[in-house]
Amino acid sequence: MIGRLLLVVLVVLVAPLLGALLNGADRILTARMQGRIGPPVLQPFYDLLKLFRKEPLVLNRIQIGYVYLHLAFMLMTIVLITLGQDMLLALFTHAFSTLSLVIGGMSVRSPYSRIGSQRKIMQMLAYEPVLILLVVGIYLRTGSFMAGAVAHLDAPLITSLPLVFLAFLIALEIKLEKSPFDVATSHHAHQELVKGITLEYAGPYLGVIELTHFYETFFLLALVAAFFVTHVWLGVLVALAVYGAAILVDNVCARMRTTWMVRYMWTVPMALAVCNIIWLYLQPHAGR
Amino acid sequence: MAFSIHSSMARSPWFVHYNCNSCNGCDIELLACLTPLYDLERFGILHVGNPKHADILIVTGSVNHRNERVLKNIYAQLPMPHVVVALGVCGSSGGVFAGSYNILGGVDKVIPVDVFVPGCPPRPEAMIDGLVRATAILRAKSAGAACVPAAKPTITVVPSPAPQEPHAA
Amino acid sequence: MQAITGACLMLTPANYVLALIGVPLVGGALAYVLPWRGARTVVVCLTALATALLGVLAVVAGPFSVTCGAWSDPAAFALELLLIGVIVAFAWEARAWLIVLLTLLQLGLCLTEQFSAGAHAPTAPTFVLDALSSILVIIVCVIGALILVYATGYMREHAAHAPRTTAGDRRFFLVLVGFLGVMNGLVLANNLRWLAVFWESTTLCSFLLIGHEGTAEARANALRALLINAFGGVALSLAALLAAHRGGITSLDGIMSAQALAPMALLCIAAMTKSAQFPFQSWLLGAMVAPTPVSALLHSATMVKAGSYLILRLAPAFAGTRLLDVVALAGGFTFAVAAALAVSQSNAKRVLAYSTISNLGLIVACAGIATPLAYAAAIMILCYHAASKGLLFLCVGAIEQKIGSRDIEDMGSLLYIMPLTTIITLTGMLTMLMPPFGMLMSKLLAIEAAIEAPFVLLLVIVGSALTVFFWAKWIGRMQTVSYHPHYPRETMPFSMSSVLVMLCALVAGGGVASILVYRTLIEPLALHTFAHASAHTIAALRAAGNLLSWPVFVFPLLAALVWLWTIARFNPAHVRLPYLAGENYEEKELSYAFLSIKDQPAVAWTTSLYFKHTLSEARITPWANLIAGLLVLSLLGVLGLL
Repeated sequence: MIGRLLLVVLVVLVAPLLGALLNGADRILTARMQGRIGPPVLQPFYDLLKLFRKEPLVLNRIQIGYVYLHLAFMLMTIVLITLGQDMLLALFTHAFSTLSLVIGGMSVRSPYSRIGSQRKIMQMLAYEPVLILLVVGIYLRTGSFMAGAVAHLDAPLITSLPLVFLAFLIALEIKLEKSPFDVATSHHAHQELVKGITLEYAGPYLGVIELTHFYETFFLLALVAAFFVTHVWLGVLVALAVYGAAILVDNVCARMRTTWMVRYMWTVPMALAVCNIIWLYLQPHAGR
Repeated sequence: MAFSIHSSMARSPWFVHYNCNSCNGCDIELLACLTPLYDLERFGILHVGNPKHADILIVTGSVNHRNERVLKNIYAQLPMPHVVVALGVCGSSGGVFAGSYNILGGVDKVIPVDVFVPGCPPRPEAMIDGLVRATAILRAKSAGAACVPAAKPTITVVPSPAPQEPHAA
Repeated sequence: MQAITGACLMLTPANYVLALIGVPLVGGALAYVLPWRGARTVVVCLTALATALLGVLAVVAGPFSVTCGAWSDPAAFALELLLIGVIVAFAWEARAWLIVLLTLLQLGLCLTEQFSAGAHAPTAPTFVLDALSSILVIIVCVIGALILVYATGYMREHAAHAPRTTAGDRRFFLVLVGFLGVMNGLVLANNLRWLAVFWESTTLCSFLLIGHEGTAEARANALRALLINAFGGVALSLAALLAAHRGGITSLDGIMSAQALAPMALLCIAAMTKSAQFPFQSWLLGAMVAPTPVSALLHSATMVKAGSYLILRLAPAFAGTRLLDVVALAGGFTFAVAAALAVSQSNAKRVLAYSTISNLGLIVACAGIATPLAYAAAIMILCYHAASKGLLFLCVGAIEQKIGSRDIEDMGSLLYIMPLTTIITLTGMLTMLMPPFGMLMSKLLAIEAAIEAPFVLLLVIVGSALTVFFWAKWIGRMQTVSYHPHYPRETMPFSMSSVLVMLCALVAGGGVASILVYRTLIEPLALHTFAHASAHTIAALRAAGNLLSWPVFVFPLLAALVWLWTIARFNPAHVRLPYLAGENYEEKELSYAFLSIKDQPAVAWTTSLYFKHTLSEARITPWANLIAGLLVLSLLGVLGLL
């Protein structure tokens, strides 16, 4: 009991640090791909500290509450997964974290923020089915909806869920707000809708959004690594490689239209995931 | 690697840039600073699109009667602490357009300026130097120093040397 | 405790049944007779209170069944003839010949059954109150009572703006209050004849209430509701006839124990018409012209639940049959398509209507899957949806009275215009979407249960992604507000505001305690109903009950507390205008106006995405009706097995 509590505290404290370092590595890698040098790897820490020192400008008091809920639900997601609880619940909590940001963005009278929020909802519409199919696939393999059951597998998930993994990687690109799917807000220099959904947040509130983004990066890459849970180091390496590939795709692709994103996600990755799931259903044992 | 909040303010200065009646020369040179040859991101400097996310407001041009209102509006949306950099000689004295009927003749006529970077256009190295000085001021402001508007540059034109007598061959 | 049990036992089960059906009918009649509005209000409120108390007492008194004597069959037959006569009269007057035809067909079936099947001694109880019907009785009595109280305040305001042709409050309250009694009867009925009587009565009530406004549109929609429900009535009568012929079955219990497929298929079709599943959904959308208490009571909380309740009641006996596979597929299809159509609607009541159809489809799908976990999920959706949707309809009614519009895009700044109502509406909407509230938990359980039925699973996944879309747009729109240092006090009739607050507390409290409710009430019920299920499905049921680590919800609670603390020390100097490239035009209410060409102010007006071209009703409904129609036909194919 105490051990699990300590684990949760450890993860909650360490996850943003790792997420920030990954973010820093992202910026350096992007810079090198563009022939630049890039900032120091600790830059996201400096950014975060600076943001908490700035004046907290807002448009109304409602958006403050939603930015706190954004962080709170992300923390909840991470704690749920750390404790090995129901994956569907973690998924819905994660979805509500994004939804909080959307509602906060819609609560302000700013056209950029509103359009960014609409696009964020469309992003959710695009990747939500793939993520639920991911959880369903894991259930068909382990026989349980609890995340803890993944740790007790003898063969890694990737051997029975390769297509779902591929679909998840494509959904990852949307969640990390990277081209060709960075339509709701943008990373650092690539402006879209000025700053879209995060436009009317300043100072500490923007800092909270950045912090949540660090947690989210960590969470998503941990999910990637979970596909190789039997060989932890391989999982970590694959997660880092996936992150590098996501950065590469980001720098190579242009930003596409939102409607294309939804159409694409509901055809190609969904078809991949559904094929994988059908294959699992046809298997004789399937943990059921 | 100092992790104090004030040093972080200096290590992560994000700027927003507005063209107030400039010919675009300074703007283009500023954007050139973001390119691989000069790479401002080495200093943690990012070009953000809106004042609410920015620490530094870079103004080019000499501000005319029309965009005086816009400049004040943008300035009001900057969260404290912030610095203002007037880029180019237009921002300090009006440059080649000094005395023209439509311009106000300098950014400091509208908002308090912390750093002037004269030149027409200033070289990227001069701009980077100006930005680095701006981050030092930013750090001081974050630590609670009072806001002291910068002194305008006094010498903006260096007279060229007199032509030499040609030697008799 | 002893006193309460004593009080409960003072009434015999037969008394309870009589009271539950009779008290609202008497109350409604009184309300009709009294000519003064004040007296009417008192009578309605007292009836509401009495009904709620009766409902709770009846449920506490425990499960019981009542077997009526030999008088019940002829009485039911007589009442059914009366109802058919009344419906034919209304349809004849409106020149709706198809309805007349269908109702006469129903009459024929009824007469055939009465005079050919012979007199059978009824062996099954006539009225049954078991765990499933208790849930519905509570919903009808408690939520119905609250809606009645709300209606007194609402109709008083409504009368001030009502069109000239309205039928008058007296008839309105007669039907609305009497409806509670009729609905109780439907829920308690086990005997097929009495079920048909109460079923037709609810159809009649719905017809009268939808047409209350008296406008041409209201009359047309009322007739459409009557038509589709008449079709359901025919199916019901045919089911009763086939059941009687097959083995003298005269009750739902009998159908269940004999596993009579053909009556079950027809009852499912009748249930689908009542619950507005595709392809029978158009009447519910048309019913939105009725006054809001009608939409809340009949068309979200109670009457439309009757259909899904019926399927839920019968399904466990048919677990594993192809019939239920098709029913589950039809329900899942409704869930997905109704959610897609809700995305394209900007009329608030239509969004709520499609959402209701969608959730009813989910209940039907879970009932069709017929495993313990699916059954538990269906019951959870039933309970929480009734409460939340009823609350939302009442709120939309209050909003419509204040701002005069039902369009979602007009609902910005509501937080400043009517703070209390907006907060209650937001609570209602968040309980539809947010963990740990019941609706989200039940959706989670539904997905977990649908693993057993892969096609249904795919439909549920598609539907839940779309559901998030339309709720998010609306919630975001309702929260739009500029900074105001002080919020005005809202004025609303006390009957309306008190009901909203009470129902909101019920919804929020019940939602937070959702896992407790699941563990203590619903899980045992599912286990009891599926006593012979496989170990694997029972294990799934038990595993789902462990799904919540309650302490984890401390995070959102902390976030809310930090937010309140931030607001308490909020410095108004930190408020700014939105970023509009420096061209803000600072006028009092329009902080999103900017100076455009020639320094003329323009408004930056952004609406939400509705996809009116891709997801329009005109485009999707024909195809959806076709596919759903094919599913219904395949249900009828079971009749060949006779």
